[in-house]
Amino acid sequence: MTGSPVIEVEHVCAGYDTALLDDVSFQVNRGEVFVILGGSGCGKSTLLKHLIGLIPPLGGTIRLMGDRLFGSPEAERERAMRRFGVTYQSGALFGSMTLLENVCLPLESFTALPREARDLLAEMKLDLVGLKAFADFFPADISGGMKKRAAIARAMALDPEILFLDEPSAGLDPVTSAELDRLILQLRDTQGVTVVMVTHELASIHAVADRCVMLDKTARGIIAEGPPAELRDRPPNATVRAFFQREGNRTGASGSHEVSK
Amino acid sequence: MLDADSVIRCDGAGEALILELHRRAASQGFTLQCRDARGVVARTLERFRVERFTSSLATPHPVRHTRLCEQLGRTCVHLATGFRDQTAFLGEATVSALSLPRQAGRFRLRDALLHFERAGIDALPIVLLIGFLLGLILAFMSATSFRQFGVEVYVADLIAIGLFRELGPLITAILLAGRSGSAFAAEIGTMKVNEEIDALVTLGLRPVTFLALPRILAATLVMPILSTFSVLAGLLGGVLVMAALGVPPLVFWQHAIRATSLNNVLFGLVKAAVFGLLVGLVGCAHGLQTRRAADGVGRAATAAVVGSLVLITVADGLFAVLAYLLGV
Repeated sequence: MTGSPVIEVEHVCAGYDTALLDDVSFQVNRGEVFVILGGSGCGKSTLLKHLIGLIPPLGGTIRLMGDRLFGSPEAERERAMRRFGVTYQSGALFGSMTLLENVCLPLESFTALPREARDLLAEMKLDLVGLKAFADFFPADISGGMKKRAAIARAMALDPEILFLDEPSAGLDPVTSAELDRLILQLRDTQGVTVVMVTHELASIHAVADRCVMLDKTARGIIAEGPPAELRDRPPNATVRAFFQREGNRTGASGSHEVSK
Repeated sequence: MLDADSVIRCDGAGEALILELHRRAASQGFTLQCRDARGVVARTLERFRVERFTSSLATPHPVRHTRLCEQLGRTCVHLATGFRDQTAFLGEATVSALSLPRQAGRFRLRDALLHFERAGIDALPIVLLIGFLLGLILAFMSATSFRQFGVEVYVADLIAIGLFRELGPLITAILLAGRSGSAFAAEIGTMKVNEEIDALVTLGLRPVTFLALPRILAATLVMPILSTFSVLAGLLGGVLVMAALGVPPLVFWQHAIRATSLNNVLFGLVKAAVFGLLVGLVGCAHGLQTRRAADGVGRAATAAVVGSLVLITVADGLFAVLAYLLGV
């Protein structure tokens, strides 16, 4: 646990209209892969939406690299929002643009680079995720795993310091999902990004996570925090044990991960 | 006494019957005796404990008299939130339109041109056809009445003024609402469902500037042009009918041109632009407010068309009052 915290979540009450989580506090350190996990409907995705500034939390503060996303002047908010990249469950690529144009869009909007430089940069980002050959394809013409990777390339376009991933392995086969895990680790090691990931895919959690927090619907908050191996071997309570072991058994029995939203 | 000895298998209705019988027995203070050789009743009672179920066949479903009030209330809330959302969107659109000069790079002119083509040039055939038929029908209907007084030539005046001032903009706006207003809502709504709007926001781009403004601008600019085309097609329809009824085309044109004042034309063009603005605003607003559900996009498209039509009609009425007051 080295480095200073890049994300500070303090006493956040998460929810859209009604609170799902009452009092959530945690910190994410620079350069780590941090996983938010928990069962369906426990508020993982909502918490992520608070973190990336889409929905204001019902209470508490969230700081990204010292800047507050909510309750701060528009300039501070915009500056904070430009320092992270997000990928969504479905990829959320713009369907009317090619992959290259998708990656170019943030560059076009926020830099004064000439067109040639933008194209080169976008091509490099696509190369980073192994999609250079598909630069002129439209999102509809590529596979689900490629969409996820293209979305990561777009999120990386402005060289963010934090990368938020919403269920990156949802709907992917185990091999593709493992490739994505390798890509995430590679991005952390070579580009120095901090990765915050929402998932309940046990295999990926063990493969990539440095630390994780587990949320629970009935406890309405964090029920466990720590490295995944520790949570697996010494679960602090029954819910955590059930999560790690049941999914573990299922993975072992069927030979593949089961992904459900 | 319940004889279930010969029951081999029991489906949902059978289980409900067993449950109901037990409950009635209990409520009247005696226990139901069962012959239950295969254990069907016992298994049912074990699985569904009688006291956990509240609905009963004996007590009919209460008729709720509050339903009407409740629906009325819901509808009112729905309308009020709809109005609030529209107003909020209008405000946001205005703000981002006003801040455009400072951030010219954010506006996508290419998108605006694309929507101009889709909403305008692609709509030309249908606009011409409807305009032509409108002129045809108008000429035919009015000619029969005018003939009684022997003033068929004035049909040209009627068609020219009617189309330029009123029917041209109105019918074109209705077509635009159906063709493009719904398309705006559906396109933006699908993007919302696919989280693409969220992606835009987290990329630091305002969805209103990025998606709505090009469409609104395209709709506003395209309407006067489309409307003019529909009027010209309508006049052509009028000429044909009147020629068939014995009014020479030249006479028709002379009358039409004399009747068309610059005021009439300008009034129609302004009206058309305002209608276009309304269609664009309403379409984009409903698109951005799409709910994330399977029926969300469909509802957004429907709401966009209905909302546009209502607003167009209201605006048309206001224009009529305005014209009366200004004496245009």
